[in-house]
Amino acid sequence: MTWNRREVLASLGVGAAHVLLGCSSPARGPARPQMDAGEVRGWLRDAVARLHAAGFTHARALAVTRHRTSAALDVLGAGVTHARTDGVVLSTGTAEQVTTDLSRAGIEAAVRVLAGSVRAPASVDFGRAPAPVPAVKELADYELLDRVTHLATRDPDLSSRIVYSAALLDVDDTHLWAVAAGSDLEQRITRVKKSITRVAWNGTRPIISEVARAWAGAVDAQELSDADLATAREHALALMTPTAFPDGDHAVALDPSIVAQLMDTAVRTLLTASAARRPEVARRMAIGRRIAAPLVTLVDDPLAAGAYGGFAFDDRGDRAEVVKLVDRGQVVGILPPRRRPGHIGPLEAAPSHLSLTAGSVAADALLDAGFELESGISAFVDPSSDRVVISAARARERLGGKRTGRLYADIELVGELTPLLSAVTAASKETDTFGTRDDLDHLPCFHSVTVPALRTRGTLRARRRPA
Amino acid sequence: MIDARSLARALIRRGASAWTIVERDQHIATLDAELTRSEQRTRWYLTVDVDMPAGRGTGHLRLDASAGSADAIADQAISLAHTGMGPAWTSPPPAAPARVDLDDGSLRDPVAAVKRALPAHAGVFATVTAMRELVSVTTHAGFHTTWPATLIRVDALVTSADRSLAITRASRTLDGLAIDAAIEDAYKDLALLATARAPVAGPCTLVLHTEAMLHGGLGVWQAFVPQADAATERQGLTRYREHAPIVEGANTAAEPLTIESDGALPYGLESAPLGDEGEAVRRFPLVERGMAAGLALSPREAALRGREPNGGVRNLVVAAGTWDGALPGADAIEVRRLRSLTIDRYTGEASLEIALGLAQGVPFTGGSVRIDLIASLARSRRSTGVITRGAYQGPTIASLGATVLLP
Repeated sequence: MTWNRREVLASLGVGAAHVLLGCSSPARGPARPQMDAGEVRGWLRDAVARLHAAGFTHARALAVTRHRTSAALDVLGAGVTHARTDGVVLSTGTAEQVTTDLSRAGIEAAVRVLAGSVRAPASVDFGRAPAPVPAVKELADYELLDRVTHLATRDPDLSSRIVYSAALLDVDDTHLWAVAAGSDLEQRITRVKKSITRVAWNGTRPIISEVARAWAGAVDAQELSDADLATAREHALALMTPTAFPDGDHAVALDPSIVAQLMDTAVRTLLTASAARRPEVARRMAIGRRIAAPLVTLVDDPLAAGAYGGFAFDDRGDRAEVVKLVDRGQVVGILPPRRRPGHIGPLEAAPSHLSLTAGSVAADALLDAGFELESGISAFVDPSSDRVVISAARARERLGGKRTGRLYADIELVGELTPLLSAVTAASKETDTFGTRDDLDHLPCFHSVTVPALRTRGTLRARRRPA
Repeated sequence: MIDARSLARALIRRGASAWTIVERDQHIATLDAELTRSEQRTRWYLTVDVDMPAGRGTGHLRLDASAGSADAIADQAISLAHTGMGPAWTSPPPAAPARVDLDDGSLRDPVAAVKRALPAHAGVFATVTAMRELVSVTTHAGFHTTWPATLIRVDALVTSADRSLAITRASRTLDGLAIDAAIEDAYKDLALLATARAPVAGPCTLVLHTEAMLHGGLGVWQAFVPQADAATERQGLTRYREHAPIVEGANTAAEPLTIESDGALPYGLESAPLGDEGEAVRRFPLVERGMAAGLALSPREAALRGREPNGGVRNLVVAAGTWDGALPGADAIEVRRLRSLTIDRYTGEASLEIALGLAQGVPFTGGSVRIDLIASLARSRRSTGVITRGAYQGPTIASLGATVLLP
């Protein structure tokens, strides 16, 4: 993405890793209270049994303890931070009681709010206790710093034109319990994100390039490849065409980062139970309605192996399942409310891991003439009108199947979503995966997307005047 | 269990130079058509300063939990402070908290309050959230103060047969919510939307009505908040500097712009006696008759400048104008609602996507506008009528001058 001088200076001053995380001595995290999984399960079972005794036969309990560790290194230093959140949600179906006190006393107090005076627990069959979740090796601060230092120094071809570089390793370790009659579930999800940032000046404008990988699993399960590092470097060093962009209707190839932002935003805005309350959305996104070309098939798959937004059971305590949203261009499903920000916020209808079916064309053969849009910045989809505005860092011109060498900064694609998706005529056989962590009231929402590049047609225009 | 006293003892034992512990005990109730939700939450926010020969380090720590060890948390905060070393400065002496009432008696029971506030109109899908919190602030100087505060928020989707509008209102008091009036306005705009045409692109004069002007909270006035950030100003990244006109000619405009931050506004959405670092909240000007007049000063920024901290930008109070609301010309477009508003925090340049506007009284929907908000608002005409909504108190309508409507 490209930033103006003020933005990058602010980034260097405020967003630098050492400022975000502190530098020099590695910090010790707040010792996580020793949490015995069996003990927590016992508290939750007791809570559900007491709620049953009070007549709440649909009672459920969800408990979470979440520990986040981030390590970062930039040109000025390295540092580590820790944060912790606990929570319990007791649900009767029509009422919920939530507390940040994950202890026997805290849960009993929550039961008293829902059920009044404590009474003898009912006899409830919870089924078999789940198998113990495998222990997760918790890395010491110095081990995280070692990894992030290695990541930061791996690229041997860094140019002196790179004026700022940073590496980040973010690990979120969540331990969840969900208990209801006939159901006793437990999962531990370790979400990892590794990223590098490179900044270089291009005339009066600095260009910031970031490459990231996000997954669920072991910290060392994936690495940024040499190609990823080279991409970050080359995007930062790319020289932009100084002439004005030819605003107008063009054939475009949307790179996976743009397709990911578009799909994620569109699903959250249009294909959820809450969005369906809007008459405009209900009409446009009715089941069976064609909203895209037959090439477009989209599913929400929380069970995808290693998905950053994936899970084994949702925040209602139901086992995860695949929801098909768009089948060959037709709407076939919407997302029900089943996720909570931070696992303790209000239930929301939000995607977990979206997957768009790949095509059969090589990515570099998608477009004969037109513009390749690269590095998505943001996507806006208006639920009431279908208006879509997609901002991209770069547009690369192609003519006669070859790149002309012209590369324009800060371009936006504007128009309406349905015509844009209906004009999709090819999808690449290669896919890419992106993971995102959004924070709402200090509670995180994790989601991820696997998508190919797409060829379509739309109106492009420059976001800024040439510098 | 974590408690403020053991945290304070742990910080003193570890030799912290200065510290502030903010504890928020919150009772939050949420109600919609299907579910009642009640939440008991304890939030901790620690600020710890450590003096070293190299300077002073500051660590901030946030924790949403009740169980834990005060010693471990103090270790973490001290360790963070050691890693965030900067120039030396001295904590300002404690000042009296702002005297402001934030506790509405009708919201003391959040569960009962959300039931009273839930709109009962047909075609309205609403979620009401009410909170009552007890905020306790303890500082290294032995200063301890506690205050109760209430908050209520309604998120509603107002629907007609084939259209919808989303509205949000938040207030410290039940009476200040005015949700029924907001729903009534939304119904009127839905009727206009039913007959709205496509926009006609071209030059125009932009007039913003309340709902568009305050889109998403402070709306277009949000452009002035990052300009008052002291750290950004120190780095030379703000668009204008203190005691200079915010744009050329702003101080000689027909109606020079005046904006204040008032954190002691009774029941103001952003009002508070003290800030999160224990500093007293004070009223201060951001812009005075077109001149940049003040900055949001944290204890650190204030100490480095030899001034008093003021608790940061809180509620924005914009001085009313003299405009009677008569349209400035035949090319005027009155924007009633926006789909989105994006503001560049450093330049104040904005992109407005229009949801509903009126051109010569004829409704239209769609189109976008790119505008330099700081320049336009500095030269704007503002209404004599004043409204208080959320963290804003000021004119109900503003004319931002000439621009171009894009398709």
